[in-house]
Amino acid sequence: MIIACKVLQSALEEMLSERLRKRAQFMDYGLHRVPARLNQTLQSAIDAIEIPGRIVLGYGLCGNGLDGITAGRHTLIIPKVDDCIALLLGSRHSYLREMEKAPGTYYLTKGWLESGSDPLKEYREYTEQYGAEEAAWIMDQQYRNYERLVFIAHSQTDLDTYRPQALEVARYCRQWGMRYEEVLGSDRYIRRLAAISERPENADDEFIVIPPGSTNHQELFWGCSITASEESKKEMGSC
Amino acid sequence: MSELFEKIATGVIEGNLDEVPGLVQSALDDGLDPTKILENGLVVGMNEVGKRFKLGSMFVPEVLRSARTMHAGQELLRPLLAEAGADLGGKILLGTVQGDLHDIGKNLVGMMCEGAGFEVIDLGFNLEPEKFTEAIKEHQPTIIGMSALLTTTMRAMGHTIKAIEEAGLRDKIKVMVGGAPVDADFAERIGADGYGHNAASGAELAKKLAGMS
Repeated sequence: MIIACKVLQSALEEMLSERLRKRAQFMDYGLHRVPARLNQTLQSAIDAIEIPGRIVLGYGLCGNGLDGITAGRHTLIIPKVDDCIALLLGSRHSYLREMEKAPGTYYLTKGWLESGSDPLKEYREYTEQYGAEEAAWIMDQQYRNYERLVFIAHSQTDLDTYRPQALEVARYCRQWGMRYEEVLGSDRYIRRLAAISERPENADDEFIVIPPGSTNHQELFWGCSITASEESKKEMGSC
Repeated sequence: MSELFEKIATGVIEGNLDEVPGLVQSALDDGLDPTKILENGLVVGMNEVGKRFKLGSMFVPEVLRSARTMHAGQELLRPLLAEAGADLGGKILLGTVQGDLHDIGKNLVGMMCEGAGFEVIDLGFNLEPEKFTEAIKEHQPTIIGMSALLTTTMRAMGHTIKAIEEAGLRDKIKVMVGGAPVDADFAERIGADGYGHNAASGAELAKKLAGMS
């Protein structure tokens, strides 16, 4: 059984067996914006599955939306990542590397472009609601510190297909000096997520396993002690 | 007069920039105490905004509009509060930690703390632990407040506290933390003195840490 965010749907569906594809549940894109709501919605979906079994969650810690999720009668398997960007880049390490390059990065992906979650769409929505001037002010408050817009795709075809849309966003974001980059990510992690959905016993340290009756905690996602002094001297990304 | 306070609070919740300064002015004209106008009107509104944001019934644009409205009202009160010798809590240093550039919440906390009588020094965002330790030496604040929006960056708060300890400055200051993924449990684990779940409660916490309430 797999419950995942819609942002992973097209990638996962290609990789899952027909048996699992039919049983996969994909949840709304925007839930992470209110972590408490993501938590409740996901918990209800888990609790609604009656037959005890192993459930793979296509999520990361997602703004701590997954902190406190309880396994109940099931075993939960969760990729050990902060959010979907690590999954889409192919590894936690790749994500940290990108963060080190420029912390102020806004990521565009095929899924997010399709769902309408990008700064330009946001600006258009605000304009409808508040008028152009007010919308521009709201956007400026939110995005003025960003320095880079990165479009991640898993294939050259996807890069080429979605480039015009990504570039339109890039042109809009230039007002804050954001530079545009394209990254050919890897589908390795999502492929592993699909494989582990078929054979959960293969979950290794790239995944967190929550046994029946236990609760998921944010600490499980940390790569090191948060108060370790040696770490504070390294790039913060090392944790 | 509670009706006027209620109107001010509602105006802040609705982000009604056109009305709130006028309402604050009429409250002043009615001879109401500026501290009461702040605490029972503007702050009550902003507190509700914080609660609604957490529950997902208000979003970032609305919170920004509310904050701007609150700020406009507060600006009218500021000289009067200073004149009345409102509580001065000392200095607060605020900053968003290393790797994180999100500053909306931090700016809001700054505004609320100013309202509460603190001198706020905003260090900015993406701040290495050393930036905090240097600023503590330079400004000698009562409190430092750290903010992070991401789970990837909130851990830098722990690193920063560690750096403050290593610089021998930990016992000279109180540390408060906040931000969307942060909770009281996390704050305790990294050795902070307190956690504010929204901007209004951040200012309340600052008052408590400074021994003002």
